[in-house]
Parts: sequence; C-alpha cells; structure tokens
Amino acid sequence: MATVKLAGMGEIVWACGAGVLGCIGLGSCVGTLLFDPRTQMAALAHVMLPEAHDQDALTTPGKYATTALPALLRVMDLSPALASRLKAILIGGGELFQNRSQTLRIGERNVEKVHQLLRELRIDVVFEHTRGSFGRSFEFDVATGFIKVRAVGASTVEKDLAAVLGIQRRAA
Amino acid sequence: MTTTLNDLRTDALREIGNIGLGGAVTALSDLTGVLFTLEAPQVMQIDTSTLPQLCCVSPESLVVGTVSRVNGDWPGEGAFLFPWQSACVLWQILVQMQPSGLEELNELYQSVINEVSNIMLGNYLQAISQMTGFTLHMEPPAFAADMAMAVLSSILVEALYGQRELLAIETAFKTPEHEFKGYFLYLPETGNLEKLFGVLGI
Repeated sequence: MATVKLAGMGEIVWACGAGVLGCIGLGSCVGTLLFDPRTQMAALAHVMLPEAHDQDALTTPGKYATTALPALLRVMDLSPALASRLKAILIGGGELFQNRSQTLRIGERNVEKVHQLLRELRIDVVFEHTRGSFGRSFEFDVATGFIKVRAVGASTVEKDLAAVLGIQRRAA
Repeated sequence: MTTTLNDLRTDALREIGNIGLGGAVTALSDLTGVLFTLEAPQVMQIDTSTLPQLCCVSPESLVVGTVSRVNGDWPGEGAFLFPWQSACVLWQILVQMQPSGLEELNELYQSVINEVSNIMLGNYLQAISQMTGFTLHMEPPAFAADMAMAVLSSILVEALYGQRELLAIETAFKTPEHEFKGYFLYLPETGNLEKLFGVLGI
C-alpha cells in the first residue's frame, strides 16, 4: 500500500484518483473525509473542535468543524451548491474519559456539528465509525474505496466502500 | 501570551514544575517504597503541530492516563500518562498483580491509577499553594486507557477549548529499579498566568 498521507490535528490533506489518507489516534477529534465520485478526489480534515472562536480559523481552518467543511470544498474546488454530489466518511468523536465530573462532551459535539453541517450541504454520510469511549486510527484508500479503522483492544474494521462511492476499480 | 513568556518566566514555570512534582514523586515513593526521580521539567507552548513531541511515546501505543480539573487561583488541567508497561509496574508494586491486557482492566486497576494521580497531583498543588499562597482545588481524576495519541489529544483539545494557545509543563519521572516512565502535564489556563507571575514578582 502506498504511504499514508496523514492529517495531523487541525490539518487538511487530499488525494485524487490514488493514494491513502488517514488519521492516527483520534480521540474526541473527528476525521471528516469528503469524496467526489465525479473527480475521484478525496479530502480529509482532522477536526478538533465544533466551532471557531478566533482568527486562528484563518490559518488552520481544518481545526474547527464550521471552518473545515468550507475549506474542504475549497480544496476540492467545488461550490456549496454542487456539494450534494459528495459522499462523507466520519471517524472518531469518542469520549475517552468517561467519568469526568464536568465534561465538555467535545467528541459528541464534534460529531453532531459535522452532521449538521453535512445535512445543510445535503451531503450523505456513507460510512461512520464515531462516538463510544475509545480512540481510533483509520486509513482510506482513494483508489479502491477500502477503509480500515483500528481501535485498541478491538479487531480492525474493514469495509469496501467502492460501490457507494462510485469507484470503478481497474482490473488488476 | 507569546510576547510575555520570556526566559525568566519560562524558568519560573520550569522551577514550579520541579518543586511541585518533587513533592509529588516523594509521595509516590512513600506509597510504593520505590525511589522515583524527576527529569528536568519542560515548558512548552503548544500548538497542534508540537503535540506529537509531548510525552515521548509512540502515537498508537497503549497508555493509561488520568486528567483532573484544577480550580482556584491557577486553574487548569493536571494529567498523568503511563505507558502500559509502566502502569503494570505500578499495579505490580501496589496490588501485587497486573492485568494481562485491556480486557482485564477492571475497577481495581483503575482506582489504583486514580489514587496515584490523586496523591501526586494533590502534592503538586500543595507545593504550588505553599509557594504562592494560591487556593487550589482538584476534582477527582477521570481515567482512560487507549492509544497514546487519542488520550493525549483528548486531554489537550479539552484544555484548549476557549483558549488560543496552550502551555504545557511536562515532567517525566522514572525509577532505576524498574522499567518505568511516567509523565505529568500541567495545562494552565493561559489567561491566569499573569496572576502567577505577579505573585512571584517577575
């Protein structure tokens, strides 16, 4: 498998037609990946928080859900009006520290916010591995549509998303 | 904040880490009967790109961690991280047994780590309180065992919430008697730093 282009916290990475995108060690963060069946382009943001609250969002738009989705569309060179042809994959948003006396529930709020924004853009979520109380890493192969999600103490989840993403694999 | 954190202030934060955790490792040594020593604390201004440099453990390795909210005059989050093997050393010393894997990690093992965190953070805050006159209260620790990067990022994202920058005072502690390394992080709310420096007269 080709080297994985990893999106670190708050980063955005992309690939077109070939390549592997992924995130390592998602806790409350949400790996938000958009795929364009028409161009076979995928772009991934490692979203840390639901909403932007300072100018930091200008330099690292991938950090906040509210700025990450517009930034992903820009990277994909797609206007919001055409966004409904995209497919979304969401990974992460866990609450690792379950017994906190006060908690900001950031994982849950990240997942909710990304869902809300995707609904507004009429983008379907075709695969989701979110919430729960554990961390995750994942890799998505842009050429084949295979996704692998790893968690500690659980077997790796693998899914072939080629059909739902409209990927036609070339014969080997 | 970037402009105000000069060398003197960085040194002061490092020294606070030293004094605070000095008492904390003494408490841990008393509890376990094993001598623990400190490495020099590091003071880091964190943005997301520097996160992987914190607590030198590989991102997907299994760690055990706690985080406690600290309220009062110098609020923030106090967190401990133990690589799985190091947590096993603590369990072996304190309850004479250890889980063979994550599936055996029951409440007893969790409470051991929570208690170690409680005692150490309590001593850390007490030392700072004596030095500064600050009133500091900690909440009971919350526990997680998971991949290092997921645990660390969850702690940092929550500490980062509502702040532009994050400051971390990281101190590693170890013991020559065992294959052990623990990490302590204090993540103060940066808005309250001036108060601390004011008390210290710098």
